[in-house]
Amino acid sequence: MPKEVLRMDGITKIYGNGFVANKNITFWLYEGEILGLVGENGAGKTTLMKVLFGHETPQSGEVFLDGQPVKILNTLDAISKGIGMVHQHFMLIPSLTVAENVVLGVEPMKNGLFDFKKAVAMTQEVADKYDFNIDPMAKIQDLSVGQMQKVEIMKVLIKGAKIIIMDEPTAVLTPQETDELFEQLMLLKQHGHSIIFISHKLEEVKRICARITVLRHGYCLGSYDLKDMDESDISRLMVGRDVVLKIDKEDPKPGKPVVHIKNLVKINAAGKRVLDDVSIDIHEGEVVGIAGVEGNGQGDLSDVLSGMGVYSSGVVEVNGTDIKGRTVRQIRDLGLAYIPEDRMEYGCAGDMSIRDNIIADRYFRKEYRKGFFLNQKHIDEIVDRYIQEFEIACDDKSQPVRMLSGGNIQKVVVAREFTSGSNFILANQPTRGIDVGAAEMIRKTIVKKSREEGTATLLISADLNEVLECSDRLLVMRKGRVVAAFPKANQVSEELLGEYMLGIKTMTQEEMEGLL
Amino acid sequence: MNRTRRVETMVELLRIVVAIAIAYAVALVTLFAVSEEPLYIIQQFILGPVSSVRRIGSIVNLAIPFTFTGLCFCFMYAVNKFNLSGEGIFMFAGCISTYVAINLGEGLPAPLMILVLLVVGALVGVVITMIPAWLDIKFNANIVVVSLMLNSMLVFLSTYVLRYKMRDASISSLGSLPLPDNASIPTIFGAFRIQAGLFFAVIAVALVAVLFFKTVFGYKMRVVGSNPLFAKASGINMAGTIVCAQLIGGALAGIGGTTEILANYDRYKWIASTQHGFDGLMVAVLARRNPLLVPVAALLLAYIRIGADVVNSKGDIPIDFITVIQGIIILMVAADEFMGRFKKKLIYKAAQENLAHEKKEEVVAPATEGKEE
Amino acid sequence: MFTLSWFASFGFSVLRLGTPLIFAGLAAVISKKAGMMNMALEGMMLCAALAGVIFAGFSGNVWVGLLGAVIVGCIVGWVIAFASLSGMTDLYLTCIAVNLAASGGTVFVMYVLTGEKSTTSAAIRAFTVPSINIPLIENIPLIGPMISGHNILTYLAFLSVFVVWMFLYRTRLGLRLRAVGENPDAAASVGINVKTVGYISFLISGILCGFGGAFMSMGWVSFFMKNMVNGRGYIGLSASNIADGNPVGSAIAAVFFGFCDATATTLKSQGGFPSEFIEMIPYGATIIALVVISSIRISRQRKIEKGTA
Repeated sequence: MPKEVLRMDGITKIYGNGFVANKNITFWLYEGEILGLVGENGAGKTTLMKVLFGHETPQSGEVFLDGQPVKILNTLDAISKGIGMVHQHFMLIPSLTVAENVVLGVEPMKNGLFDFKKAVAMTQEVADKYDFNIDPMAKIQDLSVGQMQKVEIMKVLIKGAKIIIMDEPTAVLTPQETDELFEQLMLLKQHGHSIIFISHKLEEVKRICARITVLRHGYCLGSYDLKDMDESDISRLMVGRDVVLKIDKEDPKPGKPVVHIKNLVKINAAGKRVLDDVSIDIHEGEVVGIAGVEGNGQGDLSDVLSGMGVYSSGVVEVNGTDIKGRTVRQIRDLGLAYIPEDRMEYGCAGDMSIRDNIIADRYFRKEYRKGFFLNQKHIDEIVDRYIQEFEIACDDKSQPVRMLSGGNIQKVVVAREFTSGSNFILANQPTRGIDVGAAEMIRKTIVKKSREEGTATLLISADLNEVLECSDRLLVMRKGRVVAAFPKANQVSEELLGEYMLGIKTMTQEEMEGLL
Repeated sequence: MNRTRRVETMVELLRIVVAIAIAYAVALVTLFAVSEEPLYIIQQFILGPVSSVRRIGSIVNLAIPFTFTGLCFCFMYAVNKFNLSGEGIFMFAGCISTYVAINLGEGLPAPLMILVLLVVGALVGVVITMIPAWLDIKFNANIVVVSLMLNSMLVFLSTYVLRYKMRDASISSLGSLPLPDNASIPTIFGAFRIQAGLFFAVIAVALVAVLFFKTVFGYKMRVVGSNPLFAKASGINMAGTIVCAQLIGGALAGIGGTTEILANYDRYKWIASTQHGFDGLMVAVLARRNPLLVPVAALLLAYIRIGADVVNSKGDIPIDFITVIQGIIILMVAADEFMGRFKKKLIYKAAQENLAHEKKEEVVAPATEGKEE
Repeated sequence: MFTLSWFASFGFSVLRLGTPLIFAGLAAVISKKAGMMNMALEGMMLCAALAGVIFAGFSGNVWVGLLGAVIVGCIVGWVIAFASLSGMTDLYLTCIAVNLAASGGTVFVMYVLTGEKSTTSAAIRAFTVPSINIPLIENIPLIGPMISGHNILTYLAFLSVFVVWMFLYRTRLGLRLRAVGENPDAAASVGINVKTVGYISFLISGILCGFGGAFMSMGWVSFFMKNMVNGRGYIGLSASNIADGNPVGSAIAAVFFGFCDATATTLKSQGGFPSEFIEMIPYGATIIALVVISSIRISRQRKIEKGTA
C-alpha cells in the first residue's frame, strides 16, 4: 500500500450566496501518483481544491497531511505546507518578467532590496532541473499560452510544492502542447511529486492517471481504479447517464452570404496586428467554426463583428450592409445575435432579474412598450415562456441572475440571443464552464437553428471537440490570420488541427480557395 | 434558494436600522463627552426637533431640499457615476434664479413667475452637470475630481454674480437685492409654516419613481448601472443613458436650489457652499438608491440636522460634528460586509438545513455502477 | 515688474505651493499602483494639518507636531482601508464619506480643544517646521533664491519622489504592491495577502498626506484654518492621473499645478480683475489639464489603431 500524503475528510463548503459546492466529501492522495479528479462543471472540483489550497474556508471537515491533522489557514499556509496549485485561469502579472512572476511570494533579497539577478538565477535553475525551455527575462505579455502554463508550473515548483494541483491545465492547450505537458508531469511524478489532475477530458485522464475520484453535484461518488474502466464508464459516473458527444446533423444547404468579411485588419492599442487580413463569408444555413489557441485573434474578430470593438481597415458586411461606424444596436438591427465569451461580464447583469436580462436586446420594440412605459404584461408572458422552453431552473422570473448556476445563467443568455429573430448568431465559447446538459442543449439548438431556420452561425471555441462536432466548415486562426480551412469539420482530426493551431503547418491561399 | 433571497432582503433592512442606531449612539456619546450639561444637551438633541410645531415644520422644510438633492444622487448612483456637481448646482441655481427674478421684477403673476424660475433652476442644473458628464464620457476625465473642482469654481462664480451683478448696497452684509414678492413660494399648514415647495418635492418623488421603475428609460438606466459592459453588448446606448440620467439629476438639484431660495429667503446671500449636495448623497445612500425611500431618508437626516441646530443654539456645540455622523452612516450602510458575517451565518444555516433534507442517493441517482476500490 | 528677483520669488512660490501637491500626488501614486483610486487625500491632509498644529502646540515641539500629523494621516488611511477592504464599502463612497467627515470633524475637534470654530491662530501657539538654506547654491543668482531657503518639508517632498520610486521599483514590498494592483488574484495565489498590501498602501498614502497636511499648517502658514486644504488633495490626485501613476511625472504635474496656484496669487496681488475669477484658476487648470492629457492619449491611441502611427 503506497503512503497516503493527503486526506480530506468530510469537507462541506457553502458559499455566501447559499450555494453548497461540496457536500461531505472525502478524498485522498497517494505519494507519487497522478490522481484524476473528475466531474462535470459545477460538480465542486475547483471548490474542493480551493479549500485544500487555503483559498476557501470550509464549514466542516478535516485535512490530513502525511497522516497528521492540519489546519490550512490561508494560501500562504498551504504553500508552506508543500501544496501548490496551477489555476484554471492564469495567475500571472503581464507587465512583469518571467523571473519576477516565478519568485513572487518568495522574492530573494539583497541589502533590503529586491535582488533581480538572484531571481533570474533561481528561475533558470528550476527551468534547467525540470527541463523547461523558457527565458527568465522575457515579459509574460510576450509569451504564448503554452509557455505561460510552464511559468505557472515553475511558480509552484520554486516554492517547493510536493502536492501539485492542476486545475484543467489542458483546457487552453493544443494536443501537441498537451503531450509536452504530460511528459513534464511524468517527470514531476518521477521526482516524487504527487499530482491532482482536474479535467473533464476523459481521454486525457485515462492516459495519465491510474486512479480517479468522481464528484457529482457536490457529492463524492468514490474513488476508482482506471485499469478496467473505459471512457464511457467514467462519463456515466460523472453525469449519471450516457453522454452523446456526437451530434447528428444532415449536410448543410448554404444559401446566400449573410456575413461578408474582406481583408479585415485590426491593430490593437499596443500597436499589434491582432487581425491580419482576414476574409470570411458565412452563409445562410451553415455553422462556421473557428479553432485556434486562445488569444490568436478570435476574440478580436468577435469584438469587431459584435460592434464592441473597432477595426482599422477592411470591409465587414452583415446582410449586405457595411457595419463601419455602426453601434451595437444598429448591428443587432441588421441581424446579429451575440453570445459573448464571458457571460458574467458581457452576457448578463448579475444583480438584475431573469426578466430584465431577457429583454435587454428588445425592450425598445413596439410590442414590449407602451409609449414611454414598459409593457409589463407582454414581457411577463414572453419571459415565462422562455423559462419553460429553455428549461431554466429558477424560483421565478424575478430571481436575480447571479443566484443561478453557471449553466442556467448561460441558458438565460441563449434564451435571449436565440429568440431575437436574427439570422446571424455569433457564439463565442458558448458552452465554457457549464454542465453537460446545458452544453448539449446549446449545441443542438445552434445546429437546429441553422438547419430549420437557415441561420448563419460563427462558432468560436477553444473546445476542439465542440468545433469539430458542431461546425460544418472549419477555420483555424493563428496570429490574427486564417491559416487553415476545412470543408467538413467532422472529418478533421484533433492532431491535425493542433498542427495548424501551433503553426507547424499552414495552408496557402490557394489551398483555402473557395473555403473562406 | 428562495430563503437566501429572503435572508438578503431582511439583513439589508436590518443593516440600515443598525447603522443609523450606531451612528446615533456615537452622536449621543460625543455630545455626552464634550458637553458641560450632557443630559440637557442630549435631551435637546433627541426631543428638541419635535418640541414645537414650528420645529416639526422646520424638519419638513429642511427635508424638502434634501429630497431634491437625494433624488439627484439617485440618478447619479443609478448609472454608477459619482458626479458630485449637485453640491455646486444647488448654490448656483439659487443664485441665478434670484438674478433672473430680480430682473424680471413684479410683472408676472406669481404661479407663472415661480414656474419660470424653477425652469431656470433646472436649466442651470442641466448645463452644469453636462460638463463633468460630458468630459467623463468623451475624455474619461475623473468625474469626481472634475465635479468637485467645478463646485469650487461655482462658489466663486456665484459670489461674483452676487457681488457685481445684484448686490444690495443698502445693506451692510453681502446680500442680493430683495426677491420680488411674486417669486416667493408661500407657506402652508399655518403654524407648521411648511413651505409649499413640499408639493414640488412630492411630485418630483412620484415622477422619479415612475421613471425609475416603469419606463423604458428607467430600465435602460438600471441595466447600465448594474453592468455597463452588458448594456453595451446588448445594444443599449450606454453613453446617452449615462449622460441623460445625470442631466435629469442635475435638473433636480437645480430645482432644489431654486425652491430653497424662493421659499426660505427674502434675498440671496449664500457665500459658501451649502452642503445640500453632500447631504443628498447621504440621503441616496440611505435610501439604497430607491427614489420612494428618499423622502424617508431626507426626513431622518433633517431630524438629525435640526437636532444639531438646536444643540448648536443651546449648547454652543458646532453643528459640524453632524458631518462625522453622516460619514459613519454612509460607511456602514454602504459596507457590504457590515453584518456580512451575520448574513452568511443565516444563509449557511438555511443551506445546511436544505442539505440535511436532500438525499445523496436521490441527487446522484442513476448509474453508479463503477467498481469501488 | 519682471525683474530677476521677481522671477526668483515667483519660482520660489511655485515650489512652495507645489509642495503639498507633490505629497498628495505621490500618495495617489502609491494607491494607484496598488490598484485603487484614493480620493480621500483631501480628508487625510486636512486631519493631518489639524493634528500637526495640536500636537506641536500642546507639546511645545514642532517635531512632535510633525509626527502627530503623520500618525493621524495613517489613522485616516487605516479607516479607509478598513471600510473599503474589510467592510467592502465602495471605495469612491468611502473616500467621499471620509472627506465629508474630515471637513466637519476637524472643525469639531478644533472647537472642543480650543473653543474656536474657524482657526487656531489665536488659541494655539504657532509652530513652523524650519526652513534651511543650501550652502553654495544659495549664492547662485536667480536659482539660489528660487531653490534655497525652503521649508524642510519642501525638500522632503522632492526627496520623496525618489524614495517612492525606489520603493515601487526596487523593493520587495513595491513589487508585491504592483503585483496586487495589476492582478490581485495572481498575487493572492502565491500567498501574498492582498488585503494587507492594500492596508499598507493606504498607510503609506497616509504618511505622505501627513507630511502634506503638516506643510499646510506648519510651513505654508502657522495655524489651522477651517477647510484649509481647499481641494489640494484632488489636485494631487489629478497630478497622479495625468502622469498615469508615474512618481516622477506626477511630481512634475504637481509643480505645474503649483505654478498655476502661484500665478493666481500673483494676479490677485496685482488687482484690477475680479478676484473671484482668479481664485478659479487652480481648479480650472486642473480640469483643463486632465482633459488635455487624456485627449492627447486618446488621439494617440486612435492613430495606433488606425495604423497610421
